[in-house]
Amino acid sequence: MTSDAEMIPDVKIAETSNAGTAMIRFENVTKYYGAYKALDDVTAEVGRGEVVVVCGPSGSGKSTLIRTVNRLEEIASGTLTFDGESVHGPLKAAALNRLRSRIGFVFQSFNLFPHLSALDNVILSPIKVNGAKREVAKARAMALLDRVGLSAKAGAYPAQLSGGQQQRVAIARALAMEPPAMLFDEPTSALDPEMVGEVLAVMRSLAADGMTMMCVTHEMGFAREVADRIWFMDAGRILETAPPDAFFSNPQHPRAKKFLSDLRH
Amino acid sequence: MIGDILTILRDNWLLLLVGQYPNGPLGGFAATLLLSALSIALAFPLSVLIALARLSRNPLLLWPSTVLVYVARGVPLLMLILWVYFMVPLLIGAAVPGFVTMLVTLVLYEGAFLSEVVRGGIVALGRGQMEAARALGQSYPQALLYIILPQALYNVIPSLISQFVSTIKETTLGYVINVPELTFAANQINNQLLTKPFQVFFLLAIIYYAVCWTLTFLAVRLERRIARRRAGPAAAPAPLTVRQLTAEP
Repeated sequence: MTSDAEMIPDVKIAETSNAGTAMIRFENVTKYYGAYKALDDVTAEVGRGEVVVVCGPSGSGKSTLIRTVNRLEEIASGTLTFDGESVHGPLKAAALNRLRSRIGFVFQSFNLFPHLSALDNVILSPIKVNGAKREVAKARAMALLDRVGLSAKAGAYPAQLSGGQQQRVAIARALAMEPPAMLFDEPTSALDPEMVGEVLAVMRSLAADGMTMMCVTHEMGFAREVADRIWFMDAGRILETAPPDAFFSNPQHPRAKKFLSDLRH
Repeated sequence: MIGDILTILRDNWLLLLVGQYPNGPLGGFAATLLLSALSIALAFPLSVLIALARLSRNPLLLWPSTVLVYVARGVPLLMLILWVYFMVPLLIGAAVPGFVTMLVTLVLYEGAFLSEVVRGGIVALGRGQMEAARALGQSYPQALLYIILPQALYNVIPSLISQFVSTIKETTLGYVINVPELTFAANQINNQLLTKPFQVFFLLAIIYYAVCWTLTFLAVRLERRIARRRAGPAAAPAPLTVRQLTAEP
């Protein structure tokens, strides 16, 4: 599978007009669930081509943070820009849809559309949202399914695919919109252990192509190997940001030290 | 007994089939079928709209749809029919044919009941499907049309069919406001014969059963066809039966 993914030509990463700025930028972002503060004054940015891995104990706000980027979660205050565009401003519905179409999002639970074949999952949004011609969308979808090693499964329905295969189709589906950045919300947490590798291999090859990526994951091996920077979160705050080598060998924050030592046991 | 029924059928088949038509309004079996088909055809799309309104956060959609559902659930159908029959002509100042009264009442009543079935189907899908569609840039209507409704409606086919069949049976209540449908025709026959009520109404029961059974049969075939198309021929196991589900290992 890994060798397959590497043999396939690069994904096209969309050119963007706001090249000088960060791809994703959080500025004093705060969010509440009722009285509970889920995000506490988060300020950080993901640069173009950068791979950021967000880690931290469960309930620390990692998933909430990544879901604010395409506004699956609303924020209470602060600003969040994607490719220079404010995500949480007073956007018209059509503008928000357009913005979302440019942010690839991969869910923990895959969320493939079970009534559509793998191919139809991939081509639906390019056709309906971007107005792509069916034949063009199909050719591109086949190339993407090939890239994730599943061109033979184009006609299969999600229920006929393993978890790892479903997640790879979900990645192809997100890539089909040609997003300049991809968000991964615990993409391997719902998988059987033997299927984690095939999904990480696809993500690794995306990173190698220069895709901007923000990943919430517990796969510390992947983080160490692929990430440019680690963000460590706890209680809704980013407590530490560091390159993986520094983070894993010499964490600064006491909470990060405890988190890493708990992981080793 | 069977001889009696066949005789009744032979002597009155035209009345049972079309009522007084063409000398009077269309009635009998034809009226029952027409009323049922129109009621279902109009109530079903209405029910989808009501369900969506009930899931909306907009109070202008949420409140009227919720009131409609609660009223329909809380009032007997017969009472609703009588209300519409007596009130609407007073309100609009014109006579309304019984058939139209019955049709409007059934569409509203069944629309309300069906809407709860549809809403249940949508809610049962969970948030993930809508989130995935929206994350890909689909608008809310697109997500509904391409992702949510095809799954939700398919999943609730059994309940939809029960409700459709109920609708057919509820057309019998048109009898009380003199809609000349099948039950009305049967009653006319019974009033002529006077001595054979059991035979007349047994015949009536058979006809209703045949119609309802046919609809159920068609629905099951449709359901299987969709299941086959969606899962591909290799992996379309028949739905598990209760026996299979409860079998001891």
